[in-house]
Amino acid sequence: MTPILRICHLYPEMMNIYGDRGNIITLAQRCRWRGWDVEVSGISVGETIEPDYYDLYFMGGGQDREQMLVCEDLRSKKAQAIHQAVELKACFLTICGGYQLFGKYFITYTGEELPGIEVFDAWTVGGEKRFIGNVVAQAITTDGTTRTLVGFENHSGRTYLGPGSAPLARVKVGYGNNGEDGFEGCRYGNAFGTYLHGSLLPKNPWLADELILLALKRRYKLEELPPLDDTLELLAQRAAVRRSRMRRKR
Amino acid sequence: MKGKSALAIFVSKATGFLSRKLGTGAGTQLPGRIALRIDPQLARKLSGELEYGTVLITGTNGKTTTANILANILRISGYKPIHNRSGANLMHGVTTALSSSASLSGKLEGNIGIFEIDEATLPQAVVQLTPRLVVITNLFRDQLDRYGELESLAAKMNKGLREISQGDLLLNADDPLVATLGEGTSLNISYFGISDDRAGGGNLQHAADSKNCRSCGEPLAFHRVYYAHMGNYHCEYCGVSRPELTFSANMLEIKGIQETRLTMEGCGSPLRLTLKIPGFYNVYNALAAAGAACILRLDRDTIVKGIEEYSTVFGRAEWIEAEGRKIFLVLSKNPAGFNEVIRTISSDGKPDKVLLMALNDRVADGTDVSWIWDVDFENLVPHTGGIIATGIRAEDMALRMKYAGAPTHSIAIEKKFDRALKRALQAVPPGGVIYALTTYTATLELRKVMTRLGYVKGYWEE
Repeated sequence: MTPILRICHLYPEMMNIYGDRGNIITLAQRCRWRGWDVEVSGISVGETIEPDYYDLYFMGGGQDREQMLVCEDLRSKKAQAIHQAVELKACFLTICGGYQLFGKYFITYTGEELPGIEVFDAWTVGGEKRFIGNVVAQAITTDGTTRTLVGFENHSGRTYLGPGSAPLARVKVGYGNNGEDGFEGCRYGNAFGTYLHGSLLPKNPWLADELILLALKRRYKLEELPPLDDTLELLAQRAAVRRSRMRRKR
Repeated sequence: MKGKSALAIFVSKATGFLSRKLGTGAGTQLPGRIALRIDPQLARKLSGELEYGTVLITGTNGKTTTANILANILRISGYKPIHNRSGANLMHGVTTALSSSASLSGKLEGNIGIFEIDEATLPQAVVQLTPRLVVITNLFRDQLDRYGELESLAAKMNKGLREISQGDLLLNADDPLVATLGEGTSLNISYFGISDDRAGGGNLQHAADSKNCRSCGEPLAFHRVYYAHMGNYHCEYCGVSRPELTFSANMLEIKGIQETRLTMEGCGSPLRLTLKIPGFYNVYNALAAAGAACILRLDRDTIVKGIEEYSTVFGRAEWIEAEGRKIFLVLSKNPAGFNEVIRTISSDGKPDKVLLMALNDRVADGTDVSWIWDVDFENLVPHTGGIIATGIRAEDMALRMKYAGAPTHSIAIEKKFDRALKRALQAVPPGGVIYALTTYTATLELRKVMTRLGYVKGYWEE
């Protein structure tokens, strides 16, 4: 049976800052190149989710105004279904604003509190200085393999993790979650959160494939994905690592 | 001018002269930077000497073209505009323009200032230059790593405009965010926009930015979309709608990358205008310039002539002859601008185009290259035969084109501009066209290579 990856893109018109759409493009293409089908559904304000239907959920970052509008809808219209999907081991990738709203709460720099939907044991506090620049991080893997993550961060929120969520990576260049503990992103089960734009997945093809595998193996007998030619992806990753050295010198 | 100002003017001129002689670059920023160190009030003092005052043009896209067209109309009308021509749009660039046309005693060669101003610099510029007219073209989320968010940028611009006690403000009514920038100011506001129901489309592009009502936050309903998030809109929830147009364009005829015609209303009887610059976005630029010229009470015939005679200078979009081939060089620096470029160059329907795509990530380009994933390159790939990716982030550009569907064997990475250009020239037969799509500093660097090879003159010589 030909696998089909069903992607739910949350708030595609509102949470779409900094090229996060590139992640959807990457997931879709990497399935198509393997001869598999892809179905991308945009789910917006007011719409409900069928938790069992989708294999992979994606939510990007937005500007403050959009993030406020989305915050309310996420809690009232989507939270319950999202929690069910998490328990059903669907895969999630949330970035920047999406990552923040999947935590417990976000207290903005001006003191407003945005409640999150508590998928992650994480909370965010707005800071004065914005963390902006190229990031290189080393993924924390269970099998001890070395995996590099490159991206671009642009956030003033500082995110802190509780014991219920594991950090995704250790920062080598840049600030990461909060600029203090050296961690970047988080993971709870098959749900991932990160501050990295870039877009994230094109230059980190191993992560794209890990997400696809996690998403599909619930329904299909898959142990690993057929390999693709990632020459160009790795060239771009290396170029991003080289470029990040400029930031380290500062 | 007294000692300090005279010294500042002298040093500024000397720096500009040396910079040109040594060929270190255009010398459009450094002289002003040094001059402002010596006399921080120099721009204020010199602009105060302008007989017909100052016009500021700001916005994400189109400010250079709008300023250039307006300056052209002014020149034909007999004015002597002082003008920061080459995209040097921070206070340094304005100061360079002023001091290079000033004598040591502070006497200016020109009598009206036409300055394009970086959006984030507007609040500072209005205080320093007390403009008689401010023109705002549009706001896109270009280079957010530099400006922060669009909302806060708009709030800062509005706050700056409230500082001016009198004068005119010309706003793009079709851009929902720009249309609100005059709120709470004491300025005399005019609006420009397109009112042609046959032009444009009914849907917003992916990269569209301002699509929610400024008053109530609900999604805006677009009766017509002309370019990116610009169009004729209203809010079904609170009733806010596009402001009534002072200057409107209708009866649009777009003829590929060669020519556009339109009828402008609002400046006396309708004016039929012909633009020699391509694309929908230039309709807005021409309309902004013509509206500004009308507010400045320039002669209607000179407006028609000034627009018709205008062909693009430096970088925004120009044709360059090289080795029997033609290079269509166009500055492509953010998703909305890029999508418009793609729409324009795809409109001839010809396949197998050779693209020279130059992506830099210097501060002036925006250090975050994520924005390339918001550009609809998927629409360009079917018209593409070969791609040469160049610039500091050539690999990112190449990767984007791979994911847009270009076969990897059709994509080459050549990080050096001279080699990339050579390769592009080899890929195109004599008489053919190379489409060079380049970010800001990449445009400068590529043009420098072409200057060295004798294909173009240095833009400071034009």
